[in-house]
Amino acid sequence: MSPHVGARITRNEDPALLRGRGLFVDDVRLPGMVCAAVLRSPHAHARINRIDARRALAVPGVLAVFTHADLGELGGPLPKLIPHPALTYHKTQEPLASTVARFVGEPVAFVVAEDRYLAEDALDLIAVDYTPLPVVESLQEAAVPGAPLVHADMPNNVCAHYTQRVGDVERSFARAAHRFRERLVIDRGTSSPLETRGVVASWQPQTRQLDIWDSTQAPIPIRNGLAAMFHLPQAGVRVVAPDVGGGFGCKVMMFYPEEILVPMAALRLARPVKWIEDRREHFVATNQEREQIHEAEIAVDDDGLILGVRTTFLYDAGAYCPYGIIVPIVAGTTLPGPYRIAHYHCEFRAIFTNKTPVSPYRGAGRPHGVFVMERLLDRAAGELGLDRAEIRRRNLIQPNEFPYDVGVIYQDNAPLQYDSGDYPRCLSRAADMIDYARWGARQQANRAAGRYLGLGIACYVEGTGIGPYEGSRVNVEPSGKVFVATGVGTQGQGHMTVFAQIVADVLGVDPRDVSVRTGDTTAFGWGTGTFASRAGVVAGTAVSLAAEAVREKTRLVAASLLEARPDEIELEHGRAFVRGAPARSLLLGEVAAASNPLRFTMPRDWEGPGLEATRYFAPPRGTFSNGVHACIVEVDPETGMLRVRRYVVVHDCGRVLNPLILDGQIHGGVAQGLGGAVWEKLVYDAQGQPLATTFMDYLLPTSEEVPPLEVGHEETPTPLNPLGVKGAGEAGVIPVAAAVAQAVEDALQPFGVHITEMPLSPNRVRQLVAEARRSL
Amino acid sequence: MKLEGTNSLPAPVETVWKTINDPEALRRCTPGLKELKEVGPDTYQATLQIGVAAVKGTYAGTLAITDKRAPAHYKISLDGSGGAGFMKGEGIVDLEPHGDGTLLKWAGDIQIGGLIAGVGQRMLGGIGKMLIGQFFKCLEDYVGGGT
Repeated sequence: MSPHVGARITRNEDPALLRGRGLFVDDVRLPGMVCAAVLRSPHAHARINRIDARRALAVPGVLAVFTHADLGELGGPLPKLIPHPALTYHKTQEPLASTVARFVGEPVAFVVAEDRYLAEDALDLIAVDYTPLPVVESLQEAAVPGAPLVHADMPNNVCAHYTQRVGDVERSFARAAHRFRERLVIDRGTSSPLETRGVVASWQPQTRQLDIWDSTQAPIPIRNGLAAMFHLPQAGVRVVAPDVGGGFGCKVMMFYPEEILVPMAALRLARPVKWIEDRREHFVATNQEREQIHEAEIAVDDDGLILGVRTTFLYDAGAYCPYGIIVPIVAGTTLPGPYRIAHYHCEFRAIFTNKTPVSPYRGAGRPHGVFVMERLLDRAAGELGLDRAEIRRRNLIQPNEFPYDVGVIYQDNAPLQYDSGDYPRCLSRAADMIDYARWGARQQANRAAGRYLGLGIACYVEGTGIGPYEGSRVNVEPSGKVFVATGVGTQGQGHMTVFAQIVADVLGVDPRDVSVRTGDTTAFGWGTGTFASRAGVVAGTAVSLAAEAVREKTRLVAASLLEARPDEIELEHGRAFVRGAPARSLLLGEVAAASNPLRFTMPRDWEGPGLEATRYFAPPRGTFSNGVHACIVEVDPETGMLRVRRYVVVHDCGRVLNPLILDGQIHGGVAQGLGGAVWEKLVYDAQGQPLATTFMDYLLPTSEEVPPLEVGHEETPTPLNPLGVKGAGEAGVIPVAAAVAQAVEDALQPFGVHITEMPLSPNRVRQLVAEARRSL
Repeated sequence: MKLEGTNSLPAPVETVWKTINDPEALRRCTPGLKELKEVGPDTYQATLQIGVAAVKGTYAGTLAITDKRAPAHYKISLDGSGGAGFMKGEGIVDLEPHGDGTLLKWAGDIQIGGLIAGVGQRMLGGIGKMLIGQFFKCLEDYVGGGT
């Protein structure tokens, strides 16, 4: 039987999804269900003097209006996730603001009514008396002493100040032949999942059971938190993340206010309550990302070898920092990338502003780190007259240098150590695929024809597959079908297929006979969530270990039925048979039935009934994927319009589980990366009012803008897990901004345009050309 | 958002001054004004109904006239809030004799927030100018009719 792992097979989950038979939170309709709507602050910073909900409550069909005063012990600040010694002010918001609202969109009141129309109309009838307070919108200005304070009990807006150092940076810079400094700005974006957030809660007083459907990436931590808050046993709370239409990080936040308010309302009203976020709410109420300002410097010798790198950067946390400082830590630790950097100084200050809070969005700081590093290398190459690919090649870590210690502490609190890879091979393959050697001539020919084309090539390393752990239970039913459960939910990544492939190979069955259940706390109650490109690595390995245990149990049971030794039993095509005597065989389902006897005795070495096992995997540290993106863009200097002509991705995420699904991950990632590099920008005015709150103003790339992608997979297995797999979820997005910046700069080289910011909207490109022309 | 402009009115400064302090003139000429109730000297409770882009909203708030230096200068402040968000504006008005008539100079700053800001901010400049234009056109007719 040819192995299923590594095969390009279509997805088990797609037949239902493509026929509209999925179950998303909004599809949950329960008898007696009522709807909620949230009143949000229209001010970026304001004192709440008084809330008068009498007119709203007088409307027939309005069941309740909750304000902070009604929350009781639930009114305190939301849980503080992922503390860090450097995080001195770990501020989280209240589910409903009590005295001060700190960003446009912060919940102020929560209405429950018979239907959504009534609930939304009731919002208009709630009178809130606000006193506007001074607003600080700009990251740069918020960091200046004397800036308006987002939190009045702090001396300034700095919630964390953290420095990591490797080697002796001052000395390396002092001795360097060349030093180049850049100020690099990355602006704010949002991940825009197709499905916005949503929560349904139902409370059964008779059984004291609280059921929640939540479009979340972390159902188990949500269950554990809700159980604690509502003083219920964990077993009395079921959280289901059913089909989830994309998460990209914004749904790994726990808790959003609505995740507490909806269950609270269901408990108090004893009616099922539904809240579905609308798109405009999503633009203010769901966490955002990306805003950073780096002052970065690189020291190189005459040959372009890196002697040292330093960056001091500001990170915009928004108004609260529930998720701690994971994003800036990932940015700072991703920055060194695939290069040998003996001396590195990374220092950041995380700053509060009166904007929507920030938590990881696909890439989670990695695109920033890569943007900074690659821009520094481009600058050094330009100044030294070196070829761009060549300066990268000279500085790459070599295949014989693994494991390679970067010298910093990664987001999982473990030393950052690259496990395996072949960085030079990825670079040369990407260069070949984009025909780098003949680029100069092509570019000249195009310029002669009045067309401005540019090439960009950028390298990255992606930290993936971090702990702490995930688990899985695998069991074979008497039907012969295999059931897999794991706590790691799916938001479209293909878990139902990839985990089935892993199990199919171990148990010798067809992947279509393996049914995978994720994201339901009653199906599997241990786990942390889907983030950091870790499901395939951590849960995948747990699935594999559990399947192997089931295989051993199957051998044991089959051996006693077939009168053979367990090590003589083979599993293939859904059967267990004696090696060399395939006629002596049983269906897997028959073994399963026999493993659960109704009477008589059960052999002691079975250790229990059933073909079932649960296993956990706790990786010692993350495993590191890597890759190179290369692209060709055409820029119209008159309009600033940009077209991506070609886009090449060479990517190494260890052993590939399913190339089709991997391609999908890469394609989606590159599309999101291009969005962030060119079109997507959350514009705020100086008063903290968000100005891009519709897809008319916030421009997502469409199939018009995203070119066909050319993807090459390299496979360098990791020694850190038995499958040899590394994560791939964020790879597509990480180096896009860096590659596009370089390509645009290359295209506009005749004008001397220097790119130091992202995104590059047509408007901005036009301005840059105009500025460059003036200074020519 | 800062806006400014000048208008010529066909009446002497004193007449214009009286008009721009006359609740009836304000009531008639402020675009979208549904209600204006005097609650104190130069302070009014106002209800405005204004559409910005696709967002039509009713805003309840106050209108106040301060810094008065008759017959040449005052400051007018307006703030209101409603389901579609809030608006807040401040304008300085200066009057100067200009031939037989009056030159009225104004400079204002409008801030909006909430739904109207997210959806309508880009239209606000144009809409603001249009509304202020309507206001002065009406005033012009008002003083013209009065002389």
